[in-house]
Amino acid sequence: MFATFAIGQTVPVELFGFSSETAAVPLFIDLSIGLQLLAFAILLGGIYGLVALGLTMIFGVMDVINFAHGALMVVGMYAVWWMTNGLGLNPFLTIPIAVALLFVFGVLIHLTTIAPIIDASQENQLIVTFGVLLIIVSTIEIAFSADPQSLDIDLGSVGIAGIYLPEGQLYALVFAILAVIVSWAFLQYTQLGRAIRGTADNRDAAQYVGINVPRIDYLTFGLGAALAGLAGAVIPLFQQINPHLGDAYLINAFVIVVLGGLGSFPGALLGGMIIGFVHVFGQFYLPGSGYQIAIFCIFILVLLLKPSGLLGGDSNE
Amino acid sequence: MGTRSNRNPRRKFLKYIGAAGTVGLAGCIGADPGEDDDVDSDTVVIGSNHPLSGNLGGTGTRMDNAVQLAAMLKNEAGGIESLDGAELEVISGDNEGAQELGGEISDELIDDGADVLTGCFSSPVTNAATRAAERAGVPFVISVSVADAILQGAEMEYIYRPQPPATQMAVDHAELMPQAIRDAGQDIDTAGIYYIDIDFGQSVRDGLEEELPKHDIEVVETVGIGFGETADTQVTQLQAADPDAVIAISYEGETVELVRAMDDQDYQPPFLTGCANEALNDRRALEQMGDTTEGALATNFALDPTNDRAGEVRERFEDEFDQSFDANVAMTYAATEVIIAAIEEAGSSEPDAINDALAEIEVTDHIAAMPPITFDENGENENALAPLFQVQDLQDRVVAPAEFAESEIDL
Repeated sequence: MFATFAIGQTVPVELFGFSSETAAVPLFIDLSIGLQLLAFAILLGGIYGLVALGLTMIFGVMDVINFAHGALMVVGMYAVWWMTNGLGLNPFLTIPIAVALLFVFGVLIHLTTIAPIIDASQENQLIVTFGVLLIIVSTIEIAFSADPQSLDIDLGSVGIAGIYLPEGQLYALVFAILAVIVSWAFLQYTQLGRAIRGTADNRDAAQYVGINVPRIDYLTFGLGAALAGLAGAVIPLFQQINPHLGDAYLINAFVIVVLGGLGSFPGALLGGMIIGFVHVFGQFYLPGSGYQIAIFCIFILVLLLKPSGLLGGDSNE
Repeated sequence: MGTRSNRNPRRKFLKYIGAAGTVGLAGCIGADPGEDDDVDSDTVVIGSNHPLSGNLGGTGTRMDNAVQLAAMLKNEAGGIESLDGAELEVISGDNEGAQELGGEISDELIDDGADVLTGCFSSPVTNAATRAAERAGVPFVISVSVADAILQGAEMEYIYRPQPPATQMAVDHAELMPQAIRDAGQDIDTAGIYYIDIDFGQSVRDGLEEELPKHDIEVVETVGIGFGETADTQVTQLQAADPDAVIAISYEGETVELVRAMDDQDYQPPFLTGCANEALNDRRALEQMGDTTEGALATNFALDPTNDRAGEVRERFEDEFDQSFDANVAMTYAATEVIIAAIEEAGSSEPDAINDALAEIEVTDHIAAMPPITFDENGENENALAPLFQVQDLQDRVVAPAEFAESEIDL
C-alpha cells in the first residue's frame, strides 16, 4: 500500500483551498511512517467502533436516537477518573465498575425520561435525550469544573520495529473487540438476546408472542448506556478528559452507525475502522481539520451507493 | 428495523444527524446574565463576558474570577476614590465560547447595567461581542483575544486591547526565540508549527509563517489539531519533518496531548517552544506534562516577575479560588486593572466618560510583564509585549527581555 521511497510526487496544499505556506505533502510516504499511521488508524477505529456500539443498539431496537450517548460516555470517563485519582483504585478495576454503574444509570434514565414518551413522536424523544445530555454535562461541569483532567498514571507505549503503539489505546482496542464479541454472542445465543432481536425486528409481533417489550426497552437502553460507559471508561487511559469530550466522538459515531448499517454490531466496528483510517490518513494528507471533509464525503458516497450501510440488512430500507 | 408506525428508520436517523451537526452538541447551561437586575447606584458595573462552560469553560471561569478578584481587591482598598469610594460590581455572562452568543451576552450585560465590558478569550466570540458594545457605545477592554481583525481596520471607537495581537505575538516569538537560542551558541534553522485549528491558532500560525523566514528559519511542517483529538498523527508528521524546533500554538488540552504523543513516540525535538501557548506558563499543566517540557521556550503575555504585587495577586487568586494562575488569568487581571484605572481617571460611571479616559490613559501600575499600557488610535496597546520565558524546574521563568527577566536562559 505504501511505497518504501518517496517518488517526489507532491500535492500542493493550495489544491484544497487552504492558504498554508508549507507547500506540499508527499503523496507516497516512507513505509515506517505508513505503518505507524496504519497502527494509529486501527487503534482509533477500535475506539470509534466502541463508541458506536451502544448507539446502534439503542436505535436498532428502540428506534430512539440517543443524543445523550456522548454524555453517558462522559459519565464513564469521570467515573474512572474519580475512582482512580480520588479513591486510588487501579484504573482497570474501575472500568467494569463504571460499566455496571452506567447500566443502572441507563435503566434509570430510560424509566424516568424515555419510557413515558416511547410512543410519542421521534422529535419528542430527540428533545428529551438532548435535555438529558445538557443535564448530565452541566452537572459534571458543576461537580468537577470544566478544566481538563488526566489520570495520575502514564501507561506509555510499546515499540515494535520502530512502530509505537500507545498502551492506553491498545487496551481500548482490546476492550472494543471484546465488547463486539460479547454483545454479538449475547444477542445470538441467549434467550434475552433473542428477545431483544425479536423486538428489534417487529415490536408488535414481539408483544403478541409474549415478549415483555417495555422490559426489553429498559434493558436495551441500560446495555446501550453500559457500552457508552465502556467507551468513555477507556478514554482516560490515553487522553485528557473534559465534560464536553463526548461531543467530539458522538458526531463521528452517528456517521459510523449509518456507515456500518443500523443495528449491526460488526458494522459498527467496521465503520469505526473505516472512519479511523480516513481520520488518521486524512489528517496526514489534508491541512487542518480537512479530514472531516473526507469523512463526510465517504459518508455521502455510502448513502448513494449502499444506503442500508455496509453490513446493514434490507430490513433497514 | 422495527414496525412501529410507518417509518423509515434510516431516513429519520439521517435527519437527526443533520440536527446534531447543526446544534453542534455544544449545549451548555451557564449563569443567567439576567440574574443581576438590581444594580446599586453607588456602584460601577463591569460586565464580564467569558466562556463559563463549554470547551473553553475551564480557562474562561478562571478569567472571570480574575475580573472578580481585581474588583474585590479594589473594593477592599476603599473603592473608586474619584467617586467617593463607589464600589465595583462585576456581573458575568456565559458566552459558552460560541460566536453567536458573543454579541448577545454583551447586549444582555449592557441591559443589566454594565458601564464597561471585558472579554472574551475566543477571538470569534470577541469579534461579535465587541461589535455589540461598539453599537451600544459602551467601552470594551479585551481580556484575551489574539486575532488581528478584531481591531485592525475595524475603526472602532470603544474597543481596546492591552495584550499583543496575533501578528505581534508572532513577531515577538520569531525574534526573541531564535535570538536566545543563537546567543546560547546553538543552531536553529527549521521549525514545525503545531496549532489549534481555530481562529486563534490560524492567526498566530499565519504570523509565524511570515515572520520566521525573516530570521532565517524555514517552516518545514505545519500541523493542526481540533478540540478533543489526540496528537498522534501530528507528532508522526513533525517527527518525519525533523525540524529544529516544534512551536506549539495551543490551549492546555492540546499541548498536553502533544507532549503525551511525543513521549509515546519517543520523540524529542532539539527545541520545544510555544507561541501564545497557555499550558507552558501554567504550573499545574507543566507538572502534569513533566520533564518533556523542561527547558521549553515560549513567548506569551505573562505575569511580571519583577513586580512584588504581581506575586501577591497570584497568591491571593490561588487562595481565593483554588485554581491555577496562568497567563490568561494574568492578562485578564491586567485588563481589569486598565478598566479600574480608567474609571478612576474618568471620575464617572458614564460609559462615554470611561471611554474618553481609556483613549488617553497610561497605566503604569499593572501586573503584566510589559511596559505601561497606552492605546493607539486603533485601540491596540502601543507597548504590548509577549516576553520570552523558559520552563525551569517545571516553572515558567521570564528570561527576556532583560527588564522583565527573572532568570538566565539555560539550554
